[in-house]
Amino acid sequence: MTTAVAPPLLEDTKLGPKAGGFYRRQNIWTGLGFGIFLGFVAWVVSHATIQGSNWGSDMVVTCTMLGWVIGFNVGMGTFNAPIRWMLGHDQTHEDELYAAGVSQGSSRYFKFCTDHKVVGTQYLVLVMVLFAVGGTLAMMIRTQLITAHSSFLDPQTYNAIVTVHGMVMIIATIIMVSGPFANFIMPIMIGAKDMAFPRLNAMSFWVVFSAVPCLLATFFLGGVNAGWTTYAPLSVQAPPAMDAFAMTIIVFVVSVTVAGVNTIVTVATMRAKGMTMGRLPIFTWGSVVGGALGLYAMPAFLVVMTMMITDRATGTSFFVPEMGGSQWLWENIFWIMGHPEVYVILIPPVAAVLEIASTFARKPVFGYKVAIAGFIAIASLSIMVWAHHMFTTGWAPNLAGPFMITTELISIPTGIIFLCTIGTLWRGSIWTRLPMYFVYLFIWNFIIGGVTGIYLSDVPADQFFHGDMFVTAHFHYTLLGGAMIGATAAVCYWFPKVTGRMLNERIGKVAFWTIALGIQVTYFGQFWEGFQGMARRIAQYNPQFQTANQMSTIGAYILMTGWIIFLYMMLNAWRRGKIAPANPWHAKTLEWKVPTPVPLENFVVDPVVTSDPYTYGEGVPDGQVVPEFAPTKEPELVPAGSAASGEPTATGGTN
Amino acid sequence: MSFEAEIDKIEADTILSGKPFFSRPSGKIFLIWLPLTIVGVLIGLYAPHHLLPVLQSPEGGDVFATIVFFTVLAAPVAALVYAISFYSLIAWRHKGEDPDVPPPDAEPQRENGPMTVLWLVVSTFLVVVLLFWGITVWSAQQIVHPNALQVNVTGQQWLWTYSYPGTGVETRNLELPLNRPVQFNITSKDVTHGFWPAVLGVQVDANPNVTTVIRTTPNKLGGFTVQCSQLCGLYHAFMNNKASVVTPAQFATWLQSNGANRISAAVAAGTTPVAATTAAVSS
Repeated sequence: MTTAVAPPLLEDTKLGPKAGGFYRRQNIWTGLGFGIFLGFVAWVVSHATIQGSNWGSDMVVTCTMLGWVIGFNVGMGTFNAPIRWMLGHDQTHEDELYAAGVSQGSSRYFKFCTDHKVVGTQYLVLVMVLFAVGGTLAMMIRTQLITAHSSFLDPQTYNAIVTVHGMVMIIATIIMVSGPFANFIMPIMIGAKDMAFPRLNAMSFWVVFSAVPCLLATFFLGGVNAGWTTYAPLSVQAPPAMDAFAMTIIVFVVSVTVAGVNTIVTVATMRAKGMTMGRLPIFTWGSVVGGALGLYAMPAFLVVMTMMITDRATGTSFFVPEMGGSQWLWENIFWIMGHPEVYVILIPPVAAVLEIASTFARKPVFGYKVAIAGFIAIASLSIMVWAHHMFTTGWAPNLAGPFMITTELISIPTGIIFLCTIGTLWRGSIWTRLPMYFVYLFIWNFIIGGVTGIYLSDVPADQFFHGDMFVTAHFHYTLLGGAMIGATAAVCYWFPKVTGRMLNERIGKVAFWTIALGIQVTYFGQFWEGFQGMARRIAQYNPQFQTANQMSTIGAYILMTGWIIFLYMMLNAWRRGKIAPANPWHAKTLEWKVPTPVPLENFVVDPVVTSDPYTYGEGVPDGQVVPEFAPTKEPELVPAGSAASGEPTATGGTN
Repeated sequence: MSFEAEIDKIEADTILSGKPFFSRPSGKIFLIWLPLTIVGVLIGLYAPHHLLPVLQSPEGGDVFATIVFFTVLAAPVAALVYAISFYSLIAWRHKGEDPDVPPPDAEPQRENGPMTVLWLVVSTFLVVVLLFWGITVWSAQQIVHPNALQVNVTGQQWLWTYSYPGTGVETRNLELPLNRPVQFNITSKDVTHGFWPAVLGVQVDANPNVTTVIRTTPNKLGGFTVQCSQLCGLYHAFMNNKASVVTPAQFATWLQSNGANRISAAVAAGTTPVAATTAAVSS
């Protein structure tokens, strides 16, 4: 095995005993400890100081949550650097190296770590945990619905579960690609040594981390009974759980906004020499457009939730009709956030799918510029379609026509993305490794999600389908069958780079077919319920819907089995999978040109970029290389002649 | 056979290659596409009969027709994507001996201007057709019948109350006469509910302090269920009631007897619909 002689790595730097200052004493335990402490203090103090409050008053719950979030982040070290800067002792180079995780081994994953690869890995684990929580809640919902009058859950618990399932999944899907991969992979793709704002990057993770307990706390504060859309005025009257719910979202929006700014600035300013905007990998474009759209959409969520808290806690009446407020104000601001948000979820995984399709079809991305134009067109149109969620609310019926037009227009750029995907497959050399399986499943599911969307965009048909299980099936086909399967393809694709291990594809294919079958059975069952006219979010239903519900529940159990197999494959590979070569897919983007595990600051020698990364079959020299580590040939892991031994030697360092 | 030979076998997919249509990729894809499209169209034509409940109004008929029309229109498009993706797995899949070795690079094709333009034109055309259909149907539904039967609907947690102005009848079970235009004036006493008589093909939210209006004309006899379509709290799932479309004679008798389920005067006093403060929805 040939290894280039590398200069000493940054992570081997010997740091002085005081490097890092306060960071040396901080980790997740000090975070949790200080968070709980400050939450408790806020609870007691707010109860003592706010007149007429009890231990569960809205203002008291809000202050407690705020205390927890601030305390946790103080304990983690989120605010160390700005505080030191304000005190006049800016961080030294050694401190920054310490904060980037130098000489801390795997304990850096439990600390405030500015290394974008650590943050990406932290996000990946958080997303998996969130999906496990949301999936468990989904299975409880489907179990409840297995018979018409099941008493597995009481209505109160059922409504609370429906709400938290929705919100956990929304949070998880928003960060499922832009968290792990826009952090870990994207900077390497563009030849950057880190994100533009590494501390904000670490902050974005620990802030969203601290939001999750607030969301789960809703179960112990009476439960939010209003669905994840929390329509006013029901949510104004909801138990104190609603305050925790609103705080979750406020905190989450801070995280998403910070992360979005970071992504955009990184791509704008940190690209390697020669990495022009026209040579960016398509996934980078998807991350930027998704991040920019998030900057438009998510602040509306923060605003509307802040107004909700003031309505509940301080007696304002933005959304209280009896006092001059308007429930339609809530619905409008909510969906001004809510519809762009689904494209914040969707665009990054779709871009990842194009990236993967190109690698495994051994062809350039078809219509690179057209696809970018498609992303931008989707993002632009998506801010003008929100009222299609309100076709049947009675608000402004004269706007039904205009919003029908904008909504259906969005299918044109979406169609363009389909053209680019199948154009990339067209006459390619299809290499059916595990990521490619999920690319195909993305295409098959997403077309169903797209086609069923046109019924809902049509106002007369929406008069039947609104609030119906058909809607549930439609958006699960787009968000689970489309976006989440695209993200799964991304996980399979980048797993060897993130963890240094190969997935076991035999187990992966079992998981794939189980998931593929589970999705179809579950959501065709729900389409059937929808055609029959069953309302969403109901705990018990008319027995005429029972067969369709049982089909859906059986499908859900199949789907759960598939995800458990997939999770087993991931965890198993992470612990003792085959050591991955640096570039197992023989892809041309820069992240595959650096060694695995990726060194701190990624590039010992700056990469040289003279073309885009899609030069498959064009007979030109690779235009994206990393000089020191760019072998003229791939390092041969298996010596010629011993092809039978599949296990490559781990002399490259297992670490 | 080497991969290059396979590439040669596929050959350029144009008329210039001299091969008959059905030996070229596009011809083979057509052969996959055609049955898929036929299946899709047949599903569109026949499945709604079996899946949908019996729709009891012209608006319901519009829903039915829209589902059929959109499915038939979408079937060829979806079938095309499926056909190409299936064919790519059949014909262009690389079956190498070592799964870790990637296939040789394919012939690069970065763009195809005419194809992109064609795709854009066709998808835009289809969208225009959808819009034309949707707006035409929606506009036709906006007719106001001056003599429509007025029904005031009040939602509250977690039941619906119906009153027929001028008759003094208040009931929890909706009855409607056949073939007479009806106008529902809907409001709520507490939170937002969704008034959803699914088989009538109309739906609107019941909002506190506001009266929203929907209009329809029941045209088939039979019973149905009114559901609440907007999560409205604890017993949302149970906020539904029986309703039926009856002959005008039966309806008159029912009104005369004030309905079997007439609410007692004491209860009725508390369930008068909230006066409309905003007649936002009237045109």
